[in-house]
Amino acid sequence: MCAQPVRPAFSRRSERGPPRAIGAKRLEGGQTGMFLRDSEPWVDDETLGQHLEENGVSRRSFLEFCTEMAVVLGLGSAAAPSVAKALEAQKRPTVIWLEMQECTGCVESVIRTEAPTIGDLVLDVISLDYSDTLMAAAGFAAEKAKAESMAKNKGSYLLVVTGSVPTKEDGIYCMLAGKTIRAHLEEAAEGAAAIIALGACAHWGSVQAAAPNPTGAVGVRDIIKNKPIVNIAGCPPIGDVVTATVVHFLTFGRLPSTDREGRPLFAYGNRIHDQCSRRAHFDAGQYVENFDDENARRGWCLYQMGCKGPATYSPCPIVQWNNRTSWPIGAGHPCIGCTEPFFWDTMTPFYRRLPDVGGFGVERRIDTIGASLAVGAAAGVLAHAGMTVLHQIRRRKSTRQLPEHGAPTEDSTNG
Amino acid sequence: MTTDQVKPLARLPWFQVRLPRARGDFTWIYLWGAPLRVSHWVAALSLVALFGTGIFISQPLWVTSGEASSHFLMGRFRFAHFLAGTFLVMAGIIRVYWLFAGNEFERWPALWPFTRRNIRAMFLMLKSYATIDPKIQPHFVGHNPLAQVAYSSIYVGTTIMICTGFAMYGQSNPGGFFYTAFAWVPAILGGLQNVRVVHHLFSWLYPIFFSIHIYLVIRSDYLERGGVVSSMFTGGTYVSSHDEFEDCDLGDHPSVPWHTGEHPTWVKPQ
Repeated sequence: MCAQPVRPAFSRRSERGPPRAIGAKRLEGGQTGMFLRDSEPWVDDETLGQHLEENGVSRRSFLEFCTEMAVVLGLGSAAAPSVAKALEAQKRPTVIWLEMQECTGCVESVIRTEAPTIGDLVLDVISLDYSDTLMAAAGFAAEKAKAESMAKNKGSYLLVVTGSVPTKEDGIYCMLAGKTIRAHLEEAAEGAAAIIALGACAHWGSVQAAAPNPTGAVGVRDIIKNKPIVNIAGCPPIGDVVTATVVHFLTFGRLPSTDREGRPLFAYGNRIHDQCSRRAHFDAGQYVENFDDENARRGWCLYQMGCKGPATYSPCPIVQWNNRTSWPIGAGHPCIGCTEPFFWDTMTPFYRRLPDVGGFGVERRIDTIGASLAVGAAAGVLAHAGMTVLHQIRRRKSTRQLPEHGAPTEDSTNG
Repeated sequence: MTTDQVKPLARLPWFQVRLPRARGDFTWIYLWGAPLRVSHWVAALSLVALFGTGIFISQPLWVTSGEASSHFLMGRFRFAHFLAGTFLVMAGIIRVYWLFAGNEFERWPALWPFTRRNIRAMFLMLKSYATIDPKIQPHFVGHNPLAQVAYSSIYVGTTIMICTGFAMYGQSNPGGFFYTAFAWVPAILGGLQNVRVVHHLFSWLYPIFFSIHIYLVIRSDYLERGGVVSSMFTGGTYVSSHDEFEDCDLGDHPSVPWHTGEHPTWVKPQ
């Protein structure tokens, strides 16, 4: 690794002529960023460190990237040298990206990872041997590339999965190259070192699995039981969380530690509610009551607009989206809770605090039901009390007419 | 002095104090131990506080104005809610202890009064309530089985409320004690939002139960002169030695003339 952005005169790169400028991003001071779109191919025996050096990536930008990754992973910036050491010694890792029943929104999210161009690093540094959306090849050529790569890297490649697996009618709702997607998944998982289930679909089925779940959609963990799986939850998840997870795998050779949903703790360790920039307004009792009211303009808490932040574990408030441009609550929209399992059924309606509950064919709010029952009970009590009083008055009248007051009467009152 | 010697009293205007006409030998029956009474009233007060603050937390009734730094409205409501919750849990712990240390009216087998005779009594109670006919009510010195089933259901409902409440409480400190100890709650119910729904739904149990409970104990006290309301303060009730009860055989218990002012003999019914 060279310390300056200037390439050594004797590098292989210089023999191949000047670098192409397509996509290259010049940082201030003329330093080359970690854009590798115009890079030379990474040959199999080369380590990542050698490869980056070849391509004129400065040591400084590489360390910046490592520091950032170490911080995102919760290791602290002091761990950056270890991350750098582990990463630069890496041989080119193979990644198979399987897209199942999904909308490709996760791919869209991942290719928008932020500076220092992690997305470019991951897309170029890893050997992405198969990806429906991103690869140039198609049809038989694509399937052939996948089969060859899987055979060659058996037991060592990383399998990234987006989309859910349909299980009803033998899985015919998602077919690829004449086979069900479930067969593709099982085949690819067979030789994978680890699986990254990317997005809510691969996590638990997402929108397809919402009631009544016509295709019987399930997540990867419901099909594959014998491989380490990490769920990068969200619909879609933040791209940087994906790249950080890949970096963790490359650095430590295993997937990061997860919560009981299989989500990496470094990203999904805290609720949105507890990291929210509008939390002070929640505690103070300052709420948006309409999307167009003055309180919305003041940026108050969206609790009453149905924000699901109190039930949602996600790094959105910290990592944010699209190069830290913004995030939903920051932009004035309540959280819809997309990183939580079964969010489509349990978090809807998105603009109310609590879901509707079924009743008499009409969806009703819990408070309506509860309050009507309580009022009904109170009314019943009053009616019953009134009838009891009437009963007592009638009874007393009949008691009064008795000529003698001998033994105590049954209700033992005088009168 | 027996009941046969009671003389008719003069007619009094309605507003003057009426002396009870029933005189004779009465037996003091000790029903509710001090731990049960304490836990009853602590739970009653904390449940009222919990319902009130809980409603505000779920649907803030008003908003504060000005800078966020000068207010802590929701924070205070949540603190009050959690504080009342700890009092409720303390009452619950006392009650659970007393399920094993109390008398036969308080022990855990009393929570399941599902003998054939008791089930018949439940139907009689229901019939009596439906037809407003106190005469057909079976006589119990403790709770009647219908009331007992209602109270047992409240115990179950409150347990659900405590578990769902702590499951949500623990979320502010992931990995902490309450988060870990109640991690099974969202796992069973299918997510935090469902925990919230169950907590919210079951909270409406309390206004429904309160109105019916308070009405029925006062009604029972008024119609039967059984001293139900005061028994939750004093722990017991006077019953006529000649009365017969489904759940208690007065038998040879010594009776105490009610008017002598002597300290009542506390009889532990067996």
